[in-house]
Amino acid sequence: MKSNNRISPPRRLTDMIFRELYHQVPFNVAVIDRNYNVVDANKNFTEYFGNWKNKKCYAVYKKLKKPCKDCPSIEVFKKGKPIVADAVGIDQHGRKTHYVGHVFPLRTKEGGPVDYALEMTSTVTETDRWQQEYQILFDRVPCYITVIGEDYRIVRANEAFRNNFGEVLGQHCYKVYKRRTTKCPNCPAAKTFRDGRVHHSTQSGIGKRGQDIHYGVSTSPLMRGNDNIAHVIEISNDITALKKLEHQVIEAERLGAVGQTVAGLAHSIKNILMGLEGGKYIVSLGLNKNDKEMISEGWEMLERNFEKTTSLVKDFLSFSKGRLPQLKMIKPGFLVKEIVDLYKDIAAQSGIELKSEIDKNVKKAPLDPDGIHTCLTNLVSNAIDACIMGKQKGTEVNIKVSEGRDKLIFEVSDNGSGIDYEIKKKIFTTFFTTKGGEGTGLGLLTTRKIVQEHGGKILVDSEKGSGARFRMEFPRKRLMALYKEMK
Amino acid sequence: MAENAKKTVLVVDDEADVRNFLKAALLESGFNVILAEDGNIALEQVKKQIPDLISLDLVMPKKSGAKLYRELTKNKEWKKIPVIIVTGHARDDLGKSDLKELTMSGPGIYLEKPVKPTNYIAAIKKILGMDTTEEEKETAEMVEIQNDLKNLIDDADPETLKKFKEFINKKK
Repeated sequence: MKSNNRISPPRRLTDMIFRELYHQVPFNVAVIDRNYNVVDANKNFTEYFGNWKNKKCYAVYKKLKKPCKDCPSIEVFKKGKPIVADAVGIDQHGRKTHYVGHVFPLRTKEGGPVDYALEMTSTVTETDRWQQEYQILFDRVPCYITVIGEDYRIVRANEAFRNNFGEVLGQHCYKVYKRRTTKCPNCPAAKTFRDGRVHHSTQSGIGKRGQDIHYGVSTSPLMRGNDNIAHVIEISNDITALKKLEHQVIEAERLGAVGQTVAGLAHSIKNILMGLEGGKYIVSLGLNKNDKEMISEGWEMLERNFEKTTSLVKDFLSFSKGRLPQLKMIKPGFLVKEIVDLYKDIAAQSGIELKSEIDKNVKKAPLDPDGIHTCLTNLVSNAIDACIMGKQKGTEVNIKVSEGRDKLIFEVSDNGSGIDYEIKKKIFTTFFTTKGGEGTGLGLLTTRKIVQEHGGKILVDSEKGSGARFRMEFPRKRLMALYKEMK
Repeated sequence: MAENAKKTVLVVDDEADVRNFLKAALLESGFNVILAEDGNIALEQVKKQIPDLISLDLVMPKKSGAKLYRELTKNKEWKKIPVIIVTGHARDDLGKSDLKELTMSGPGIYLEKPVKPTNYIAAIKKILGMDTTEEEKETAEMVEIQNDLKNLIDDADPETLKKFKEFINKKK
């Protein structure tokens, strides 16, 4: 058996390779017997978990005094088959560590019972930590995040999204966001799938409890290298609270206006009652004195004030009409021409020149022709009255339409009597009139209402005695938004 | 009637109907009447002839009643002219602050539109210290009490208003 005493080079080489492999594999390798004793371990293991000699595996891996409840090796001893398991342990420096272990059965006799378990573990602590951080970030960022596939089904959704829209995985995004059965028009995700760029838009959706949710959404492509875009990531910001606040402000303004309107109405009625009281008194005086002239004077007064009641009611009804503007794409200059034609003669009769200025750059805009006509009528007739009241020569009224920074601007200016500062503060809030018996004081209030319904605002600039300039500004963006909404 | 020798009242109001109504009532009670449609014209009239009393509206174009009153008080002669305010804006934002200023510092008496001719004349006669019939005297006093009550009610807290209402109802 000489040959048996001689270790053949290949055998030595194999041993050497195995030995080297045992210590160099990027795993922590340990051999455990049925009594949880660590009987051998490689260098990596020793470096990672520290001294293991004469120790139980649970003491080495987890610094425990009793075997682990979910010991994977017991399974291997029992069933004789390799398994994979993950666990949390403590390294030799006392740091918590996540690792994945592959456990293989070792038998000293082929076909015999399993004598040892070979445990190969690799730590996943770093990746695991990143994954956790990423998950927390994904779930907790104060915005909705979803990942959608090319079929518009949601493959991932973060916690914020799920809280507001429910459990949605596998469903179509348009169904989840808006309860639609087909894709949304102007879908920003579709654009991203097409061109691979980031797109933004503002949208309204319906939450899981049926509540309205408003959000601003950005869509970005999710791709690796030059691959096709398989997914789009949608990040949305909830702007519902902002919208609500905006709505509340408008509502508060509206209620405030209602209060002032009622007070104004009461005042108008008081004035009419005063006229009726006067007419009644003069008629009865005339009757007593048998004075026909007096009777007819009183009677005219009564008639005039009844007439005023009618026009007040008419104005009031048109003011209170809560209609949405009927927007049509029109040339703003056309409206100005209409008003000039309408008022040219009336102005000329009082020696007032009515001029118009239409900026070449003014583009078509979605406006309610009747509404804007009413506004311009009110402003121009006010301007003419102011010129008449000013009683100067060379008075003129100028209507101008121009294009400002992303907004359409109408201006009506005059060089008439101007507006008293004290009155200026109130012209849009209370309806009152400084025109004596004429007018109901609703003109500017109605004008403001129409302008606001168009998403615009009206401003006044005036000094007493030096004319006035009324300016109606309509942001183009808002006009377009209203137009889209209406359609 | 010697002391009631024709007194002159300047009626300032921007509404023609109101001017004519008050003029008719005043003429009927034997007053001379001058009319003005705003504060500027009123001032011109005062310069021409100092009236015995001014009946003044508050909210008017050009020169408001409050502004006219402030100008009157700057002149030694003019500030003696008694003023009665006849306004529709007694209790809204447009007239309230003006009225408060005027009633605190000056005329003291105001009538809220619509006014009855008898109340108007009675109030004017009282300010001018003219002979009045028993009936006119009573009317003038009533107008004054009504005005005082209106002011008290405007400034009262809800609890007081409740008690006040109960009291009035009991008296009925």
